Amino acid sequence: MSNNKVTVVDREGATHDLEWEPDQTLMEALRDNDLPVLASCGGTASCATCHVFLEKDVFENLSERSEDELELLVEAEGYQEFGSRLSCQVDFSQNLDGATVTLAPEG
Amino acid sequence: MPEQQIPNEHQQPVVIIGAGHSGVAVAAGLRTRGWRGRILLLDAEKETPYERPPLSKELLKAGAPDESTLLRKEKFFLDKGIERLGGLSVESIDRSGKAVILSDGSRHAYHRLVIATGSRARALTVPGADLPGVLALRTKDDALELKRVLVADARVAIIGAGYIGLEVAAAAAARGCQVTVLEFQDRVMSRVTSAPVSCFFENIHREKGVRFVFGAAVTAIEGVGRAEQVQTADGARFPADVVLAGIGVVPNQEIAEAAGLNCKDGILVDDHGRTSEPEIYAAGDVTRFTSRIDGQSQRLECIQNAMAQADSVAAHITGQTPSEPEIPWFRTVQHGVRLQTAGVRHPDDDIIVRGTPADGKFSVVYLRKGRLSAVDTVGGLSDFRPAKKLIAQAAAIDPALAADPSIPLTGAALQPSY
Repeated sequence: MSNNKVTVVDREGATHDLEWEPDQTLMEALRDNDLPVLASCGGTASCATCHVFLEKDVFENLSERSEDELELLVEAEGYQEFGSRLSCQVDFSQNLDGATVTLAPEG
Repeated sequence: MPEQQIPNEHQQPVVIIGAGHSGVAVAAGLRTRGWRGRILLLDAEKETPYERPPLSKELLKAGAPDESTLLRKEKFFLDKGIERLGGLSVESIDRSGKAVILSDGSRHAYHRLVIATGSRARALTVPGADLPGVLALRTKDDALELKRVLVADARVAIIGAGYIGLEVAAAAAARGCQVTVLEFQDRVMSRVTSAPVSCFFENIHREKGVRFVFGAAVTAIEGVGRAEQVQTADGARFPADVVLAGIGVVPNQEIAEAAGLNCKDGILVDDHGRTSEPEIYAAGDVTRFTSRIDGQSQRLECIQNAMAQADSVAAHITGQTPSEPEIPWFRTVQHGVRLQTAGVRHPDDDIIVRGTPADGKFSVVYLRKGRLSAVDTVGGLSDFRPAKKLIAQAAAIDPALAADPSIPLTGAALQPSY
């Protein structure tokens, strides 16, 4: 499987193109490419520091959010019903090639 | 990263002792912040650095792979030019020569040294504590050994009803073991939570067949050639095929002490993670520092602290500003039920139960002089993020509103307190 290419919009509005490798979650791809994603829970849908916004059409192709993920997201700043995800819960999928990922505000 | 001249200093070597959460985060953070010099990450264990929280949770489950989540994939270290040396211990720190000397005799020069040696399980000191069959849980090897012996019908005595003891109790019960938890205090998790939460989790464990003995002072482990029973001060004896001690941790500060750094149940560090020697930093479980929240001297055994201190260290070494740290938080999962705590509670905080424990989902709100100090969320996470935010603001809370789970926690905050 080849890497996905994704465009990331950081919290200052700057864009970064990065390679998302098949064995990474989206959170790992962001974190390991030096984007400011703390991910202090190590990918267990606990800390909500890896909150991102996805485009609606991309979002709708993903699996459902778990109850834990949703409870954290609903209380997050800027929550989008059809766009917010914890990036640690987004596994690699070729459907996501070319997606734009926007880092949500911290807090 | 803005275009700028790279200071010569940033080409110098940094040696990091310890490849747990904080050591790995320092290494990664230095590269993110533009450090170009050698980064040498020393690890007592050989394999790729891994997460410890899953060792007492996912890894112990029947049928789960014998692997923990990696802190970073192997490729990350290669890509970032972070050298790892595993399976070696540090013999000494040569402060005047600015080098560390390893067990294989090799010598590695540093410009800055970071000690992130973490903590180890506190050892039982009673007679018989060294018998085979008496285990602790700290490393992946410990977890795999435990997993091998937690077989159906094994009699498992767990000493200490803290996070580790209870997570293992849950795993052992799920694997069909006969589990007895011996705890000196009168309730579970007494150091980290309040009575309503303790009571709730004790009940869950009891429903799954776990037996509790409170007020139990263990005086000996007895057995011929291996642990066979645990004796308590009142003369009671508890037969056991496996004994697990989960009685806290002690900081791995010996290498720092030997190098003459100031230590007092932890390596003493300032807000930047600096030790008493300006060129040597420390981060994570091994440190003792002054809390930004209440001014108390503390050790904090949690990932949040490991990562926040790592960031402070990487920022200070590179001459940059650290990120705003998260509020300390803690997580345990027992019998599939999550307890997640934001903030650090004091035993004398006022408590407000938010919701009904019988529903399996509730929170406990802790107030110190009317301001939010901590929140336990049980079986759900809705209050977790609001709690972190309000604790960071030291928000004053209306107790009646906070007790009503139909009102969002933020709705219980009085006007901003600053």
